[in-house]
Amino acid sequence: MPTLAHLLHLSPETLWMVAKVLIVFGGPFTLASLLTWVERRGAAMIQDRIGPNRAALFGKWRLLGLPQIAADGIKAFLKEDLVPPHVNKLVFWVAPLLTFLPAVMGFAIIPFGQSFVSGGQTYHLSLLDPGNGMGMLYPLAIGSMAVYGVLTAAWSSNNKWSILGGMRASAQMVSYEIAMSLAVITIFMRAGAYDPHQIIQAQWGLWNVLPQFLGFLVFTTCMFAETNRLPFDFAEGEAEIVAGYLTEYGSMKFALMYLSEYVHMVTASALIVTLYFGGWRVPFVADPGVWLSVLAFLVKLLFFCWLFIWIRWTLPRFRYDQLMKLGWKVMLPLSMANFLFHAFLMFKRG
Amino acid sequence: MAILIKQVELSWLDRTYVWPILKGMAITLGHFFRQLFTPTSKRFTIQYPEMKKEMPEGYRGLHELKRFEDGSVKCVACFMCAEACPARCITIEAEEFSELNLTQGFEEKRPKRFEIDLLRCIFCGMCEEACPKDAIWLRKDYELVGTDREALRYGKWDLLNTYAEPDGKPVIKTDPTPSTPSRKEVACS
Ligand code: SF4
Ligand code: SF4
Repeated sequence: MPTLAHLLHLSPETLWMVAKVLIVFGGPFTLASLLTWVERRGAAMIQDRIGPNRAALFGKWRLLGLPQIAADGIKAFLKEDLVPPHVNKLVFWVAPLLTFLPAVMGFAIIPFGQSFVSGGQTYHLSLLDPGNGMGMLYPLAIGSMAVYGVLTAAWSSNNKWSILGGMRASAQMVSYEIAMSLAVITIFMRAGAYDPHQIIQAQWGLWNVLPQFLGFLVFTTCMFAETNRLPFDFAEGEAEIVAGYLTEYGSMKFALMYLSEYVHMVTASALIVTLYFGGWRVPFVADPGVWLSVLAFLVKLLFFCWLFIWIRWTLPRFRYDQLMKLGWKVMLPLSMANFLFHAFLMFKRG
Repeated sequence: MAILIKQVELSWLDRTYVWPILKGMAITLGHFFRQLFTPTSKRFTIQYPEMKKEMPEGYRGLHELKRFEDGSVKCVACFMCAEACPARCITIEAEEFSELNLTQGFEEKRPKRFEIDLLRCIFCGMCEEACPKDAIWLRKDYELVGTDREALRYGKWDLLNTYAEPDGKPVIKTDPTPSTPSRKEVACS
């Protein structure tokens, strides 16, 4: 690391920061676009179809349909950028950004590998170093920001379908946030800290998913609700409200909104991995080193991304009242029970 | 009569949601892997330009005018098909021909012009039913395209050769026997 920095006439810290920014912003972005491919091909396979396999590089190499991603991107850029006359232009333009940014930003705190020491200095594999005082509160706060994107998109569209979608999204967000927070608080309580590095440290030997399986279930369910994915995707609900808050969006603005759902998915998976599956930890290896730890993190991350897709093509969409009932009458009490149980255990142990 | 809906009593395991969801996920994953490891040729999807669907018996696709071995037209220009056609898309002009040979038997009439406007044709197969000589068949070709409307008015030679390639027969563009000058025309003039 110092030699490379020396070659580039940069201080190691600056170089490391630049590298991390590139990784943390480029990584989820790339992963998200790959996920659009995984989603389409995976869904096809699940439904005994074949999926997009026709787009080809230079009309020659089909590469299992991977060029479809590039083709879609180009298509989205070249499409007419239609802004309907009845929308609030400014907010309409800002909304895709408001959806996209929180999705990418959430990833900044996640440690995606074991910290390493090089040239007498410790390098942490997360954009925000440990001890920044925000810890896991940061991604949760940022994650809740995402609903503003949905809401502004819905309000500015000035369209009944959009507004219905927006209302649903906000109601859903409120009902699931509380259960999620309680699940996360239990983790904080057990780890005695809310910094992701320390939470991962505390999962030495036993991942949180085992003692807190209930919390894991609640948190994962809430993550599905947070990312607006099926079975909780009725902010879009194409069967009843056209495309929900996306109804008036087209071209690149739509692509951005669409992509941010996947970035959100990546971030949500990263959160699940960090909180419940030991982050970068490898089972039975005490000190995995940088590469192995990053690999382990990536494998877990990809598994949860796949889980999001897998669930989407397994379950039908909930009805609105079912969602509310599930949120308030099932998730919240479960989360509360999980919290109280662990609080009681800690109290007993003294 | 009222239909009795069978009430399904859910067990407590089913009511937890988690177990049925896991079962559902097992099913979808099963489908995923089954489809993933099925070779392309065995999948349900027919990848069109490379693979083509074998049409069932009795499929009514593009017409063919049948020929005898020597390449002469089986059709005797009796106008039965044109009469039977509900879309009125068959246009026939008859002509006579002189030299009788063996396969042609005693017929001395054949179409000079035989045109089907395939844009109007509804592929009902009535022409096939009506034909007394079994001269017109609707066969399995469903890839019927043209660049303009004129291209889809198939004439006599088009119809005679529609299946020449798949059947491995030579494309014939002339009748083996010349026609006699029309007597009717002479009489009229
Ligand atoms: S298939 Fe039917 S519509 Fe077409 S030419 Fe024959 S009789 Fe007419
Ligand atoms: S195709 Fe058959 S029905 Fe039609 S004119 Fe010829 S012989 Fe008669």
